[in-house]
Amino acid sequence: MNNNKSLLKILFLKEIRDILRDKKTLVIMVLVPLLLYPAMIIGITLILSQMENRQMENTYQVSYQAKDESIVSKLRDSYEEIKEEEELSLQFLPGEQEEREGGVTLEISEEKETPEMVLSYNATNQDSVTAHSQLKKVVEHYKEKALEKRLEDEGLAKDFLTPFVIQSKNEATDTETMGFSIGGSLGMLLITTIMMGAFYPTVDVLTGEKERGTLETLLTLPVSNFQMILSKFLAVSLFACASAVLSILSIGGSLGFLLNSVEKMYEGETLGIDFSSFFSFLPILLIVVIITALLLTAVSMCFCIFAKSFKEANNYFTPVMLIIMFASMASLLPSVELGGKTALIPIVNVSLLLKAVMAQNLSYTLAMITIVVNFVYSILIVWVLAKIYCSENVLFQDGFQSFTLFEKRSDIKRGTIPKTGDLILAAAVLLLLILYSGIGIGVRSQMAGAVVNQCMILGMPLLLIWYMKLDMKKIFSCNKPAKKKMLAAVLLYVGIFCLTMILSAFLMKWMPESTGNMETAYEELLTYPMVLLLTVAALMPAIGEELFFRGLLFGSWKLRLGPVKAMLLSSLIFGAFHMSLVKFLPTALLGLCFSYITWKSGSIYPGMVLHFINNLFSFFTMKYSEEIAKLLPILTKTELAVGETVVLIMIGAVCVVLGVLFLEGQKKQRL
Amino acid sequence: MLKVVNLCKEFEKTVKTGRKTKKQEFLAVDHVCLEAKRGEIIGVLGPNGAGKTTLLRMLGNLMTPTEGEIHLYDKEEKEIEDIIKRKEAIGYLSGNTKLYPRFSIREYLTFLGQVYKMEQQEIEKRIEELVSMFSMEEFVDNRIDKLSTGQTQRASICRCLMSDPDLYILDEPTLGLDILSADTIINFMLEQKKAGKTILYSTHYLEEAEAICDRIYMICQGKIVAQGSPSYLMEATNSETLRTAFRRIYGKAMENN
Repeated sequence: MNNNKSLLKILFLKEIRDILRDKKTLVIMVLVPLLLYPAMIIGITLILSQMENRQMENTYQVSYQAKDESIVSKLRDSYEEIKEEEELSLQFLPGEQEEREGGVTLEISEEKETPEMVLSYNATNQDSVTAHSQLKKVVEHYKEKALEKRLEDEGLAKDFLTPFVIQSKNEATDTETMGFSIGGSLGMLLITTIMMGAFYPTVDVLTGEKERGTLETLLTLPVSNFQMILSKFLAVSLFACASAVLSILSIGGSLGFLLNSVEKMYEGETLGIDFSSFFSFLPILLIVVIITALLLTAVSMCFCIFAKSFKEANNYFTPVMLIIMFASMASLLPSVELGGKTALIPIVNVSLLLKAVMAQNLSYTLAMITIVVNFVYSILIVWVLAKIYCSENVLFQDGFQSFTLFEKRSDIKRGTIPKTGDLILAAAVLLLLILYSGIGIGVRSQMAGAVVNQCMILGMPLLLIWYMKLDMKKIFSCNKPAKKKMLAAVLLYVGIFCLTMILSAFLMKWMPESTGNMETAYEELLTYPMVLLLTVAALMPAIGEELFFRGLLFGSWKLRLGPVKAMLLSSLIFGAFHMSLVKFLPTALLGLCFSYITWKSGSIYPGMVLHFINNLFSFFTMKYSEEIAKLLPILTKTELAVGETVVLIMIGAVCVVLGVLFLEGQKKQRL
Repeated sequence: MLKVVNLCKEFEKTVKTGRKTKKQEFLAVDHVCLEAKRGEIIGVLGPNGAGKTTLLRMLGNLMTPTEGEIHLYDKEEKEIEDIIKRKEAIGYLSGNTKLYPRFSIREYLTFLGQVYKMEQQEIEKRIEELVSMFSMEEFVDNRIDKLSTGQTQRASICRCLMSDPDLYILDEPTLGLDILSADTIINFMLEQKKAGKTILYSTHYLEEAEAICDRIYMICQGKIVAQGSPSYLMEATNSETLRTAFRRIYGKAMENN
């Protein structure tokens, strides 16, 4: 162990040294944040302040046309009265303006009873716009005065026309307001910087190894793939972090410098922003940066591992880059906040977390979820990468041989077993489709959304069965089950069901944020007729999900990786598909149960039937929650008493043990 | 030292039959059996595309065989099972094993020494030995991307030597080198042989193979078509040089196909 650790350190230091000697990468990582950001921020501010200065110095022309000069002279009086206070600088000139661009024209017509003033300006010209707004202030002031005079003439009080005064008050402090407005764009800026900081070293360290022909040399070393990948991953993450920290420092530094000089300019006047409150968030900001760097490094490694040259790496990464940038803009959307669901989506959660940090309304539970989720994703990706890295297809040929799916259908032999690459790709595509259809259709109609989802889950395995000419019996276990095993399967399911109840209750207690209100969430759905409801909510998932998770995923992995790994992998993906932190573990456990039953009974059908019963059950507890609460209160409770927990654990354990024993034992008799 | 039984490697190739292109499996290495003893130099000869590199890659643990067994034994003739331990015992060199261009030779060798878990003093001593053995004093501290072809090849040999392995697998080590640089490498092989090391190497230079190999395996389309000492091969084919023997053996092998 100690040796392994030092080996990792040696490899890590080698990668660091290698990256540091690549001048081009360094330029992007160091010079860009150190020079470009301050130059941009200070440059833009300088231009803005110059514009403001010019506006203050400039005198704007008002060309007027009026038959009665008296109104104009009254306007002039008004102007003289308020010009100091409002910092106005106007010049009233009669006649038509020759160059209309830089000023404003005032036409006064007194044909009607109420005189009409027309202020013409050019909205595309900044000077003209300023002139217009200044003139408007003068005109408004004149109007107010005229009104006052009329009131006086009528013998009415000044406040005759103001029955009450309206005042708006911002409850948030200036600090919070500023944080909110900065926080939205901070995520995008930071994520983009980290992405750049991660991508270029990754290309250098992974693709560069192929491009420079040093990969084979690396493989001759007595080092495991995991150590190689991990050292590369850590080295690149470190650089991504460093470049992010540099950009935070340079952005923060130049903003601080600017605000400092502004405060000096208006001596005595402070901006009312308390910077020290931002410092207290630095630790969490740092953690977020590190975790994002880990994730983005892992993601870029995913794509660079297949690339043979820098150009290829760029090609693969460009769409990913666009997706990441798009996801990082989540914080700019007004109503999107960090919550139970958004905390599970990588990148989006980081972007929202930063917004919450800056607006100072961060929930620490959600922050923890975000951090853990991103960390888990990174670890998973690195683990998969280490597996891929030993595949010689990736190393010596093009990486697409990890997928049978990319072959022509006529090249695929009947009875092939899908490769891990195919399965993960199918699951990822399906998950994305479900997410998108959720946004596109599910929001409008829950029923339509559910139907489309179920059709997709059912369609994916059917598509693969057709395209890859899969064997229904070998992979999907479409066999007759042994009748004796049905009882054992039911027993096991009952046991697992008891255990999931405890697990759910426990999880809901710990993560109340991500629960949501189930009844209101499905209100629309419950208005449809019963037969349709049962088909969509119970029957279709039972068939589709069993075919996909137990048939395709478990079945293929069972033949490739062995039943135990296949059970674990397919159940984890099954859990992940329910896209809820609370549901993840219970569903995964249920998946484990169904895949075990499929494995031991040699048939997919018992699992389907039990899945259907399970769905039926949860559907009825939702629809008739009140009635069921009276009959069997334990089913609808969100919190379990100690006694109930113990009883449930006992029943669960006994049923699981018996179920497993029967399922195992009968097989032995057969052999 | 090394014993290989029925080694196979399957690849896919695209075949055009009429209008349709089809993918077809073929054996790049087809049931190869070979053996190498301590203190032997074994030559692997064959035309381009015969499967030499694939065979050597499998022996170097860079590729996994589709079928067959590779047994590697340590000094006590115990079999080494662990892949990491196997890699430790093998020095592998081919045209594709390039060195990190941004490191100097000294830095690179130091890194290697650390990976092979050598002590710092041991590393320094070993580097001094190698530097004088290959007369690299002048460029040992230069970055590898600044070196000439011959200098780079010497550095590559040093890479294999650094860990002092028992078995060398060299894929065309003298390819593209001038006579003097090639001589350095041949001398190195002969010296290692004296030290009781095993060398398995592929080459296209038949005179070279004739001079130094104890035994030769000739491969054609993945299969071994002839094996034996150079003198045996020449006798069996009634040739005066290995070059003629090579032509005759392959001429016959092609005919049979």
